[in-house]
Amino acid sequence: MGVEVGYTFPKKTFTVEPHRVEEFVIALGVEPYSGWTPTKGNAVPPGFFMYVITYGADEVHSKLNFDLLRTVYGGTDSEYFAPVNVGDVLSVAPVISSLKVKETKNGKLTFAELTCEYINADGIIAVREKSTTVERGN
Amino acid sequence: MADKDSSTPTLSSPEITRLRLAYMAVAMRDPNLVHMEDDYAKKSGLPQVIAHGTFAVAYVGFALSQAVGMDRVRRVKVELTAPVFPQDIISVVYTDLQTSGDLTSARISARNQSGILVARGESTWVTNPSH
Repeated sequence: MGVEVGYTFPKKTFTVEPHRVEEFVIALGVEPYSGWTPTKGNAVPPGFFMYVITYGADEVHSKLNFDLLRTVYGGTDSEYFAPVNVGDVLSVAPVISSLKVKETKNGKLTFAELTCEYINADGIIAVREKSTTVERGN
Repeated sequence: MADKDSSTPTLSSPEITRLRLAYMAVAMRDPNLVHMEDDYAKKSGLPQVIAHGTFAVAYVGFALSQAVGMDRVRRVKVELTAPVFPQDIISVVYTDLQTSGDLTSARISARNQSGILVARGESTWVTNPSH
């Protein structure tokens, strides 16, 4: 696979730009909460913190050596420890926290879990998000 | 703001159109063509393009944030169980609410218009301090 559990990607900063959150909400077509507007200081809605959005898909999938044609998003486990608002600047260094292979009647499935801890300006973990990405076959 | 604890979080999504998939691809900067091109999706064994997993994940989260406010959301755990396709409508239901101390938790299910389970999970939020 070319990568081991514990591998940590280089740290990056991510600014929660208003237009990025607005695009996300427009795609969904639902207000995340009453009074929502994509303006600085408003709470970032759930589901936004996912490594493809905040870190970039190419670098992660390349390291995992996952074929996009056979790769799907398996789920998330998001924990919220401190408020994160539109306009905040966060740092994140994703970690490959789990790699599992399962043999099924339809072939092999490889589950990769990526843990992202989003550190706010006070140095506190504001959000911990674990994404599971699944590759079929091979 | 919506009711704080007496109601169970629910949400019914709008129809997930191909235009919504295009918006999501841009919002996520997602390069995976399985969400955009039918021919590409068929090469991966799918009948057509599929929606990004973030649709089901976000609808599950939005059901909760609409009901209690984002400031009280503590955990949203979602496992995707079936693909979501264009024209699908997702319905989210929270069940088995249990309160322990300051926190309330529940099971989550999300189904498409045919009743197929597309996501399941669990969630935790801060119990309404006024209750």
